[in-house]
Amino acid sequence: MTTALIEKPSTAQPAGAGKRARWRRAVPGYVMLLPFAGLFAGFLVWPLLNALYFAFTDFNGVRPPSWVGLENFRRLWFEDPRFRTGLVNSLIYVSCTVTLTTAAALALALAFRGTSWRDRVLRTIFFLPSVTSTIAVMLIWRWIFSGERFGLANTVLSWFGADPVSWLSTPHWTIPLLVVMAVWGGCGYGMVIFVSGLNAIPEELYEAGRLDGASAWQQFCYITLPQLKPVTTYVVITGLIGAFQVFEAVYIVFRAVSSVGGVQDSGLMLVPYLYDMGFTKFQLGYASAIAWTLFLIIFVISMIQLRVTRALREL
Amino acid sequence: MTRLKGELIRLPLYLAGLTMLVPFYWMASAAFKPVPELTRNPPSFVPGDPTLDAFHEPAWDPGVRADQVVAGLFQRYPDVPGGFLRFMGNSLFVAAAITVLSLLVAALAAYALTKMDLPGRRVIFVVVVASMMIPWQVTLVPNYLIVRNLEWLNSYPGYIVPALAKAFVVFFLVQYMRSIPDDLVHAARVDGAGEFRIWWRVVMPLMRPALAAMAIFVVLAEWNNFLWPLIIVQDDTMANVPVALSRLNASNAFNPNNMAVIMAASLLTSLPTVIFFLAFQKHFTRGIALSGIKG
Repeated sequence: MTTALIEKPSTAQPAGAGKRARWRRAVPGYVMLLPFAGLFAGFLVWPLLNALYFAFTDFNGVRPPSWVGLENFRRLWFEDPRFRTGLVNSLIYVSCTVTLTTAAALALALAFRGTSWRDRVLRTIFFLPSVTSTIAVMLIWRWIFSGERFGLANTVLSWFGADPVSWLSTPHWTIPLLVVMAVWGGCGYGMVIFVSGLNAIPEELYEAGRLDGASAWQQFCYITLPQLKPVTTYVVITGLIGAFQVFEAVYIVFRAVSSVGGVQDSGLMLVPYLYDMGFTKFQLGYASAIAWTLFLIIFVISMIQLRVTRALREL
Repeated sequence: MTRLKGELIRLPLYLAGLTMLVPFYWMASAAFKPVPELTRNPPSFVPGDPTLDAFHEPAWDPGVRADQVVAGLFQRYPDVPGGFLRFMGNSLFVAAAITVLSLLVAALAAYALTKMDLPGRRVIFVVVVASMMIPWQVTLVPNYLIVRNLEWLNSYPGYIVPALAKAFVVFFLVQYMRSIPDDLVHAARVDGAGEFRIWWRVVMPLMRPALAAMAIFVVLAEWNNFLWPLIIVQDDTMANVPVALSRLNASNAFNPNNMAVIMAASLLTSLPTVIFFLAFQKHFTRGIALSGIKG
């Protein structure tokens, strides 16, 4: 996203204006920047540094933090089976969600890219979950996958003569259900981005392709997909980042009695674990170590994104 | 002929579109079903005997705790003035305040960064953009402690102030503001207008589409915001709608009698956002497209 930094050199400099005059003229500018800069420093930069400090301390929020060095990270990465569960769950969930959501979004965008009223209505329908309160949506899912026979999912099963499944209390169903909910909730957003990407592809490319006798499938493979590369990268990367941050779905649909991770931690992921450690067990230092681990994962993904977009721009 | 074939290929997608709506339909119909119908097997797809009991149960008597009678949504929270409406009011007020204030703050910053010759502005902008890759949950614990030390837990400032620094909004507005010709600003300067005046009278009116797109983004995100309110809200009075909803769910998790009430509350939570989205759809999709393509 930083690639837009190149800008026109400023031509505002009148001849003979000295350095001091430039600074004096800049004063109102800094005043205008001040409210944002203050909030940015106070509630983003300072907390970020604080989180880094807490990650190296034992801290329960009441007593002052005591320095423990790398102990939190050592415990987290080498000794904590719950963290390992959470990380593995996150990786499985993220890879399934992103693949399926991106594929669905692209298919939908190809089908409903037009301007007819039907296309617009369908686009709106697919987009609705993105604007609806996640909590409300998750409560609906919770009911649809209710283990009782009046649950909608079990009703559909019964049409085919199958026995009811206790979806929410069977650990191996947790991740698949979370993926279904995520694809349902996320495909519309990707679709909108793909539609604008598709509409930006010059029509001449297709005309040339048709003249050369390319079939619809060939046009898709050799024109559409390559042209969509930057958009696809964007959808995939934002999808990855968003999926690593999932919280509400686990917290609302699968909250078990004693922890936020669902039955046998089958839905435990990074942010739910961070919440559990920080705000139900009040191990704030440990929670900060989890937070920084999340940061590092997302940082690496963002770096890959920068690399890829830069490489794409140089093509 | 080929058109017919095209429509046939798209048929599964139309069906997928219909199934997309099933959860919404299920919620809306459940909110109007009488309690016995909720747990009927097989379930009823059309409420046979629509009722508003989930919102207001006429037979409910706080003294009597009969099995079949649960308090309607608006009869819950006897100790919260206004009950569920209070939560909707909280959500609305917080979302509106954050939207107006954060857009003003961000637009001021964006103006200074694009239209003024500030030493160091490039560095500042790089820092703002770089901060966008920080998952905000990293600042969760320290921000909680800051807000606690300021004694802002359970208060509107606790909701609003930490949410005002939105790097993404600055980034978006800077991108858009660059397309506004510098000559307009220079002309205003030559005419003797001060920077604030130029910002407010010349640039801001031209920024309307970008501001609208961002406003819709922020309103929806804040109305639906959950994790931060969950942490800072301590008593029911200050809950926003998602927090109230999750508490409603937690306290009645396995009582099917309460499902209608939970669905009624879900309906009242999502309906405003859906209407809002439908009304401003054009701005919204344009905002997504602009931010998405610039990636």
